[in-house]
Amino acid sequence: MKRALVFFSLLLCFGIMLIAVVNMPPMGDPKSMMMTGPPGRAPIPRYLSEGRQEAGAENIITDIILNYRGYDTNGEVTVIFTALMAVLAVLNRERKNVSYCDIETSPVKRSVVVYTIVRIMLPFILLFSLYVILFGEVGPGGGFQGGTIIAAAAIIFILIFGYSQGMERFPTTWRMNFEGIAPLTFIAMGIIGLFLGRNYLTFMFPGFSHASNLLLARSMLMIIEIGIGAGGAFIFTSIFFAMQREDKS
Amino acid sequence: MSLSLFLSKMGTNFNYVVAITLFTIGLYAVVAKNNLIKKFIGLNIMETSCFLLYISMGAVKGGRAPIWTEGMKKTTLFVNPIPQALILTGIVVAVSTTSLALSLMIKIYEHCGTLDAEKLKRMETE
Repeated sequence: MKRALVFFSLLLCFGIMLIAVVNMPPMGDPKSMMMTGPPGRAPIPRYLSEGRQEAGAENIITDIILNYRGYDTNGEVTVIFTALMAVLAVLNRERKNVSYCDIETSPVKRSVVVYTIVRIMLPFILLFSLYVILFGEVGPGGGFQGGTIIAAAAIIFILIFGYSQGMERFPTTWRMNFEGIAPLTFIAMGIIGLFLGRNYLTFMFPGFSHASNLLLARSMLMIIEIGIGAGGAFIFTSIFFAMQREDKS
Repeated sequence: MSLSLFLSKMGTNFNYVVAITLFTIGLYAVVAKNNLIKKFIGLNIMETSCFLLYISMGAVKGGRAPIWTEGMKKTTLFVNPIPQALILTGIVVAVSTTSLALSLMIKIYEHCGTLDAEKLKRMETE
């Protein structure tokens, strides 16, 4: 009875959504997205045509995330920091000589293949993550993505080499200092605008030529990207440490 | 609307149809499964389907990635970058909520010894 009820209500839901979706404008039509008229005739929106000159980065998505919608991303960075604080409030931070992990005492031995491949691949994964962070302005990439790749490399390391080795490489006291770095970099870069006579999170200042302004904006965006990447990596590694360990009672 | 017109429109909006199918699968997991982790996997599938819907709405046929390189003119057709920027925010928030929910589940399991929603409800009423 319950099953039938669930089935029919889901079917109803799907049907309503299907009718709505089918009547939407055809996918991929330039006119339907308020992007342009027919290709080659109408001008493209301002953030696409002028974004490089106004915001300082070739990658329009980076322009939008860090410059046009900078306040939004500032809040988002605070959200992941808040998530870390909430996780730590629920689970507590790992403690020396008290916390341990089951994987180390497990009778299943880790495979030589996995161990070797991870050891060979880790430096390349980290190199790739640096590329993704630093090329966030001119190509696909950015702070969040690169930071997540670094965190993924740290998590692979901890899973393969064990909790105690991971604690040696990423000690809690050392990680604690850098977890807030993402919102702090953002706020620091935003406040520069206030000191130079503009609003919070402005990257264009009076009294500079356009070229030097562009260079300034670009380097500030890059510093924010590096801050977000580092902060994200530390936050996700800390969340993983907090979740993985158990405490001796 | 005739059936053939309906089907052809479904073909042009294929990504949207896939997105709502994923949404329904996620909704099924949330509604019908008892295990809290399975419920949350369902919620994550729903989130992913929303991301797919938004990214598809930003797509433009023949459009390029919104990155300026050599030889691009003001008339070049780009994909709409706004949904992509929006969904980047969405993904980060989804990860944050996932980590918080999983840590809460760890605590629930430590205290109650089960993740079954029905059993937890019975414990609550007792």
